[in-house]
Amino acid sequence: MNEAELQTFQRLIRAKKRFLIPATIFLLVFYFLLPVSIICFPKVMNHPFFFGMTPAWAFAFAQFAMVWALGGLYYLKSKTFDRFAGQIDKEGQSR
Amino acid sequence: MNLTYFVFFLFILGGTLIITYWAAQREPTTHQFYSVSGSLTGVQNGLAIAGDYMSAASFLGITGTIALNGFDGFFYSIGFLVSYLILLFLVAEPVRRLGTFTLGDVICARFPEKRMRLLTSTGTIIISILYMIPQLVAAGLLIHLLLDVQYTLSVVIVGILMTLYIVFGGMMAASWVQIVKTVLLMGGTFLISLIVLARFDWDISSFIEEVKRDNPLGTAFFNAGNLFTSPLETLSLNLTLILGTAGLPHILIRFFTVKNVQAVRKSVMTATWVIGLFYLMTLVLGLGVVVFVGWDEITAGDPSGNLAAPMLAYEIGGDFLMAFISAVAFATVLAVVTGLVMAATTSFAYDFYNHLLHDGKASDKKQLKVAKMAAVAIGLISILLSLGLKGSNVTFLVSMTFAVAASTNLPLLLFTLYWRRFNRTGAVTGVLTGLASSLILAILGPNLDAGDPLIPLANPGIIAISLGFLGAVTGTLLSREPADEARFYRMFVKAQTGVTPLVEDEPYVEGTKQRVPGGG
Repeated sequence: MNEAELQTFQRLIRAKKRFLIPATIFLLVFYFLLPVSIICFPKVMNHPFFFGMTPAWAFAFAQFAMVWALGGLYYLKSKTFDRFAGQIDKEGQSR
Repeated sequence: MNLTYFVFFLFILGGTLIITYWAAQREPTTHQFYSVSGSLTGVQNGLAIAGDYMSAASFLGITGTIALNGFDGFFYSIGFLVSYLILLFLVAEPVRRLGTFTLGDVICARFPEKRMRLLTSTGTIIISILYMIPQLVAAGLLIHLLLDVQYTLSVVIVGILMTLYIVFGGMMAASWVQIVKTVLLMGGTFLISLIVLARFDWDISSFIEEVKRDNPLGTAFFNAGNLFTSPLETLSLNLTLILGTAGLPHILIRFFTVKNVQAVRKSVMTATWVIGLFYLMTLVLGLGVVVFVGWDEITAGDPSGNLAAPMLAYEIGGDFLMAFISAVAFATVLAVVTGLVMAATTSFAYDFYNHLLHDGKASDKKQLKVAKMAAVAIGLISILLSLGLKGSNVTFLVSMTFAVAASTNLPLLLFTLYWRRFNRTGAVTGVLTGLASSLILAILGPNLDAGDPLIPLANPGIIAISLGFLGAVTGTLLSREPADEARFYRMFVKAQTGVTPLVEDEPYVEGTKQRVPGGG
């Protein structure tokens, strides 16, 4: 890799890390918080709070929203990643 | 035998065979056979992934579990769905960029050795056959109960069909059988959901009140904790579900059927929407079963509640709708087992025959011949195993396969793609530890051990997956084998950008912003 390619590659990896590390941690925490909160606070999680809906059900539906939202966000972000990758490819060809 | 049911089954049979005939007209190349020459669009592949993934366990099993246990059945739906984010974020794109046809290609991009390909190929074949057994057992039961055809004959019919699709149509037939199945399954569940909700004039609260009245648990039916009472069991199941998908070979090889990573992303996005909407509808189905079928009736046909969905179809739409839904369930099983035969066949013909026996130089003609013979052999082995395991618990076998995939393939893939120090010893110890622990723990668990089980966990994923990762880490750190940073660098650049660095390029060490001297 020449210097330009290397720099672009480093920028790509930094951009990917900036999104993927927090997003992965968030998804794991959000996902495991559902069973953990049900295990730790069964009464609270099973107590209706909104039109008969319990926090357990609300949180369960929120998991669906989380998947679609994070997936959509990644889909948008990936356009930036593609731009970097395309640039590296171009820089490599110019050698 | 009911004529309506028979006609619907024939309809599915005829439709899938027409697809196979159409697929068989394509050019007989390995590229076409293994990966449809990468010609599917992202949306088509997303529908095929959904069809490959949503098994009888999803459609029949989850509907039944929700109908019997309320909230806890929904844990399965959530885990199966969220696992797609792990796949999207960490695995899908690198797999597409590094591989051509199999997982073996991906691992060999970093460790180009025959024993590594053998390791990956063996894992693929074991996982695919393990997953095939519960699907075939479920198919056997379903056809037996609905068409009154003997269990043995039912398994043999499904086994022969899946083999035929692959032998004559390869990945093309598998893909389109899966796409058609997804459309049918989504259409069928949508139709039932609409009918159920329409019966309550679209008033969800009165529907929920009726569910509370019609089940023996009353209001507690909607509480979490009716099925999973042990905290460790709950966590273990959730861990297995979220990590299993990214290690399933039949899902991973679907990424080779599209042109580029953009299409891979579109595939996963399409799949998450289809699968998510499907699981939301199974919730309506599960609750509908409580109201329209009745709690006692659910277990009368099958104690685990697997027939809940067809029974609901009968109650709200009579013979005709039940025949349609049963045919959809039949197509559901067919599409999944076809994907599994494809994964095992490709791995045998391409990894084992072409790469291990012929150094990657076997001709297309010979590879295709071996692939077809392998498909027949894999079909036969799966049929025999499923006949031998008649009566085994389908849900247990499915979760066991997820545990095997998450404790063998996932550590192997993640460490290969992202851990610079990872080496061949770690790869071998990781896979072997993961495989042995997941199988031994399953055997010692309460599902098979009739007496007081040694391991009280029905889902031992939490131990097996930890051991799989730990085995890989320990093997890597204890071995004297130095990490090949130059090769990691080349693999890493290709996995992240699709650009193959030149051999003389100096490696970039991630995180340090330094170049490794003398690398390349």
